[in-house]
Amino acid sequence: MMQRSYLVFLFLICLLLGSIKYFSGGISSTTRKTELSFWNGWTGPDGRAMLTVIRRFNDENPDVQVSMQRMDWATYYNKLMVAAMNGRGPQVFVIHASTLPRMMQAGFVADASDLYGQKTGILESDFDSKVLTQVKYGKELVGVPLDIHPQGMYCNAQMLKEAGFTNPNGTVRAPVTKEEFLKAINATQKISSDGSHSVWGFSWTMWRNNFMALVPQFHGHYFDDQGQPDLACPGNVAALEFMNELMNKIKVTPSPESNMGWVGFRQKHVAMVFDGVYMVGDLQRLDDLQYIGAPIPVIGDQQGTMADSHCLCMRTDLTPKERNAAERFIAYLSKNSIEWAAAGQVPARKSIRNSPAFAKMQVQYAFSKQIPGMLYPPRTPVLFELTLEIDLAVEKVLRGRATALQALQVANDNVKKVVERNRQESSS
Amino acid sequence: MKPRASSYLFVAPYGLSFLTFIVVPIGTAFVLALMQFDLTSRKTASFVGLRNFQEALADPYFQKAAIATCTFTAMMVPILILTGLAFAVGLQAMRTGRNTIRALLFLPGMFNVVVAALIWRWFYDGEFGYFNFLLKKVGIPPVHWLSEKTLAMPSIVGMSLWWTLGGTTIVLLAAIQQVPKQLFEAAMLDGASSTRIFARITMPQIRPVLMFITITSTIGAFQVFGQPFLLTQGGPELSTRGVVQLIYETGFNQYRLGYAAAMSWLLFAMIFAFVVFQFMLLRRSSD
Repeated sequence: MMQRSYLVFLFLICLLLGSIKYFSGGISSTTRKTELSFWNGWTGPDGRAMLTVIRRFNDENPDVQVSMQRMDWATYYNKLMVAAMNGRGPQVFVIHASTLPRMMQAGFVADASDLYGQKTGILESDFDSKVLTQVKYGKELVGVPLDIHPQGMYCNAQMLKEAGFTNPNGTVRAPVTKEEFLKAINATQKISSDGSHSVWGFSWTMWRNNFMALVPQFHGHYFDDQGQPDLACPGNVAALEFMNELMNKIKVTPSPESNMGWVGFRQKHVAMVFDGVYMVGDLQRLDDLQYIGAPIPVIGDQQGTMADSHCLCMRTDLTPKERNAAERFIAYLSKNSIEWAAAGQVPARKSIRNSPAFAKMQVQYAFSKQIPGMLYPPRTPVLFELTLEIDLAVEKVLRGRATALQALQVANDNVKKVVERNRQESSS
Repeated sequence: MKPRASSYLFVAPYGLSFLTFIVVPIGTAFVLALMQFDLTSRKTASFVGLRNFQEALADPYFQKAAIATCTFTAMMVPILILTGLAFAVGLQAMRTGRNTIRALLFLPGMFNVVVAALIWRWFYDGEFGYFNFLLKKVGIPPVHWLSEKTLAMPSIVGMSLWWTLGGTTIVLLAAIQQVPKQLFEAAMLDGASSTRIFARITMPQIRPVLMFITITSTIGAFQVFGQPFLLTQGGPELSTRGVVQLIYETGFNQYRLGYAAAMSWLLFAMIFAFVVFQFMLLRRSSD
């Protein structure tokens, strides 16, 4: 008897839940929202900034519901790859310009050329040619660059001021030439009585990025005109030799073993570092650190740095309704990228970079001045393998285990093999 | 006796999950290892026979990773067994506080590897770390635990030891406690020294458990991933990048699934060979 009443109770609960589901379904079917899934790897404060923009888009577009999913970049690319290749990927997703070649090889990124034009307000002329080139594959534009994130220089304003690096009006100024840079390093470092540094004038941060930021200054490159790996070209060797010079010859940066990098800068143990514009979000949380952003000083023959971009892309197999909603969403993000810039990015659109609001973002604005001289990572599907070789080469040199030329030659030989293997496997 | 149909019914749930989650993935991994299957390539997967295996064996990065894995295992397993045994014997001899010490020893093992690695990353930090703070207090210059090539692997072993010692100690303590008391009493009546009692009674009695611990620790050590991945990312100069990390990077960063599967099988072969060798060695010494 007890059991029977329990079953009846269970049946009634199911009936109730079913009715709720049915009627709520009825309500939503009258509004007919197009649901868009938007994946990215913005797990930090940048993700929260993006969420604010998305919420506003959802409010302003009652017929579209965008839901954002964030995960760390490594996991993100794995999931995106597997999901998209099985037709279960998000409708809209973010891909770094440097990762696009590999994703293009996989074949799930849609042609987005029709996104450009008066209809959406995204004009090709609003992008620098080297930025737009990143999403150009043949005649197709496969995404919309949302931002540019160049490497630049962060300086402790207080320390530079004390070292005499000020403008006539008393504001702090960053070193702009190699000579000034070395002078600033020496002037800001503090050496204790036992010979150890209590403050370093400069520290390398992520060695590979630091190296790649210097490469364009020395006219370096990764592949030659024939598309063959050319890591040991004179420009790259000179860039790596400069890193080695600071660390091991004139010894004005912490050794490889005690590389303080970004943490040292945050904790006022380092006066200047090179890092990405996205790190500004980390500094914005610190109350007691006065800092300025500046272009990387001209160490080589010309101004230059390394940069990458987040590109907004779509899946190939969207329904017309989804495609329409996705295009509107991408156009909205692109148009409102000034808010995104506040989270630590440089907008990809020139019109937004020229706005007074962007000029007020000191670090982002200063970093954006490097755009004419910036160099993107090479467009190759074997970028992961290439950067691993660069990592090893830089590490070997900074640890004094090889000369710049030797280390880069070894890296180049290894990359050649990988490129050849990839060529064979792609064509077999 | 003929098994009844109902017996198959009882086995069915586990059998089904065994088939789905063990047999099928192993079979798939084996097939994958014989294929050239690149997720980023639009070409369909093609059969390449043993080419992936040949490539892996000739790959200097695989060799380097195999050396790093073997180094970790060679350092980790003996230290773990010996320290665990020492702690177990010590705990057995304790009259008071045994449970507290046992609980404290076991505590680190309850942390997730990420938590444990984060704690130890702070311990090992070259500039602001706890260990260097202590060294500084006694006038010793800082040690670069994770960025010095010769120290990175021992440092990872140190963290792994802290993380896994509790479990090993408790299993060995349980084994020691299972040894019949009358054996110890008889030996003591005969005037045997404590060293002799340990060598002639305790060790032979706990040998099967010791064998089990050694084999499972070896398997675990060969599969090390989280500790180096989180502490050193495989550096400096790939000196701590083990085979599992290489497999992960090949499969999920380079998307070369076939090649990654072949390396997994080679790792399996390595583990199998070592375990068989250990098993034979331990059996021979017990005979």
